[in-house]
Amino acid sequence: MFAKLYKHRWQYLMIFPGVLLLLLFSYIPMAGIQVAFRDFQIGSSIWSSPWVGMDNFAFLDEPQFWTVVKNTLYISVLKFVFGFPAPILLALMINEVAHSAFKRFVQSVSYLPHFFSWIVVAYILQSVLTIDGGLVNDWIAKAGGEPIFFLGSTEWFRPIVVGSGLWKETGWNTILYLAAFTTIDPQLYEAAKVEGAGRFARIRHITLPGIVPTISIVLILSIPSLIAVGMDQIYPLMNSANMAVADVLDTYVLRSGLQQGYFGMATAVGLLSSVISLALVLTTNQLSRKINGEGLW
Amino acid sequence: MRQKAGEKLFQVVLVVLLSLLCLTVLYPFVYMLAISLNEGADAAKGGVYLIPRTFTLINYEIVLGNEVIRHAYLVTIARTIVGTVAGLSVTLLVAFGLSYKGLPMRRTILGYILITMLFSGGLVPFYIQLNNLGLLNTFWVYILPGMFSVWNMFVMLKFIQGIPEALIESAELDGASPPRVLWQIVVPLSKPMLAALGLFTAVGHWNDWFAGAFFVSDQSLIPVQTFLQQLLSASDISAVLGSNTNQEALARSQMQNITLMSIKMAVVMASALPILCVYPFLQKYFVKGVLVGSVKG
Repeated sequence: MFAKLYKHRWQYLMIFPGVLLLLLFSYIPMAGIQVAFRDFQIGSSIWSSPWVGMDNFAFLDEPQFWTVVKNTLYISVLKFVFGFPAPILLALMINEVAHSAFKRFVQSVSYLPHFFSWIVVAYILQSVLTIDGGLVNDWIAKAGGEPIFFLGSTEWFRPIVVGSGLWKETGWNTILYLAAFTTIDPQLYEAAKVEGAGRFARIRHITLPGIVPTISIVLILSIPSLIAVGMDQIYPLMNSANMAVADVLDTYVLRSGLQQGYFGMATAVGLLSSVISLALVLTTNQLSRKINGEGLW
Repeated sequence: MRQKAGEKLFQVVLVVLLSLLCLTVLYPFVYMLAISLNEGADAAKGGVYLIPRTFTLINYEIVLGNEVIRHAYLVTIARTIVGTVAGLSVTLLVAFGLSYKGLPMRRTILGYILITMLFSGGLVPFYIQLNNLGLLNTFWVYILPGMFSVWNMFVMLKFIQGIPEALIESAELDGASPPRVLWQIVVPLSKPMLAALGLFTAVGHWNDWFAGAFFVSDQSLIPVQTFLQQLLSASDISAVLGSNTNQEALARSQMQNITLMSIKMAVVMASALPILCVYPFLQKYFVKGVLVGSVKG
């Protein structure tokens, strides 16, 4: 046994840093979940803080928490409804372009926004939508309308989140579909042409079926993220004026935990969403087994 | 003949639609560039859409003359370089170690790593652990917690497993130790993969504002993106002009009516330009990285 371990000493030495980093930054924080059931103050030790049972879960009775849950689901469902079909549509359009240099250009440009942070996106939104001298309000004024305070309004918050999400990620998310198109046998198209099938018939009967496996994988992989609305995107856009619809689980945890110091309660909220997302992942895996015949791992 | 005309029309419509799409991606940058090169008070009147009306470099002089911003740049560059090199090394080492199928306890270690993708302790226990380790308010909080990317490791592992075993076996028969195999066979063969993963890691570091905003309170340690995040909600320009060493530009600025918005645009352009400049040359590596990562292992 020891001889076998010694024989692989190099491999273990190489793996060790990864194992250690996960211990420090993943497993010890998992053990720290007990803070959800303790009265913990920063500066004291987790292990010696008094147990308080389910006291930290009192937020379940507060209407504010349920508003936050509603906001989270609202935004994630909206993002899914628009964000899932958009890349498929764009990929189909790009795929039909005959001029190959133009095709490459469109691809390059549409991937670009993926590489900017949500902070930069927030600046773009601010510059375009601001009330003093912003592009959109400029046009509204020229058309004789009243300026709209887009970034401080509850009605406009969700459209802005969905729209900026589409702007940033639609192009990037076409990559998998565009790759899937290249695996479709060109002879199928030739045969369809000979049979007299028009462009849209070819798209419907050859191109789309060809990417169904990819669509189902992307669909499956996006289910777990339904509970997590990107904090990265929401936080920079959130302000006191749109808070009522902008506050989602992640920002709620951030504010109550790191900013207001309710560690126990914030951990409890975090635990709840971790458990839900784990359940979603496991369900998804079962689903994937049934549909694709194999799990995600 | 009729079909040809239809085809032509279809292509025209497609090109127009996709060109519009490219315009919506690129135009915000043109707009922000124009605003940042225009005198602030003049830009606030609206109407600057494409080219500056009253051209000035004062906004950039102020931004680049500002010590806080210059320092934030150094922090960003340092964390991007250190974080990418360290992250890539750990990821490569672990992936290589785990690529030995006969390694005792291999499945256990893989399970240990996989679990961290499914469940996490949440933000607050993670924060408490950073505090206990003394990482809060240090440069290392940017590097250590994210140093081992489980996702990248699995992508790398899959790639290494695709290297012909005969290559590695023959080197081992010649008496090469695992580090030698790694350095002389695996690394040269995985260069494109390493480039792709390295670029993703680097972009992640360049764009991260979260750690700087919540794990660091020392202003001399914040990266550019965190500075931008703070400036996003600033209500007066003192946030930028406060510590300006560029007295001459400062004095002129009082006469030229610079505004918060024009300064903001100059800062955000200064952070976006490096990505805009390197993107066209590196795009192919990014796409390659996504495609290898997406093929299930």
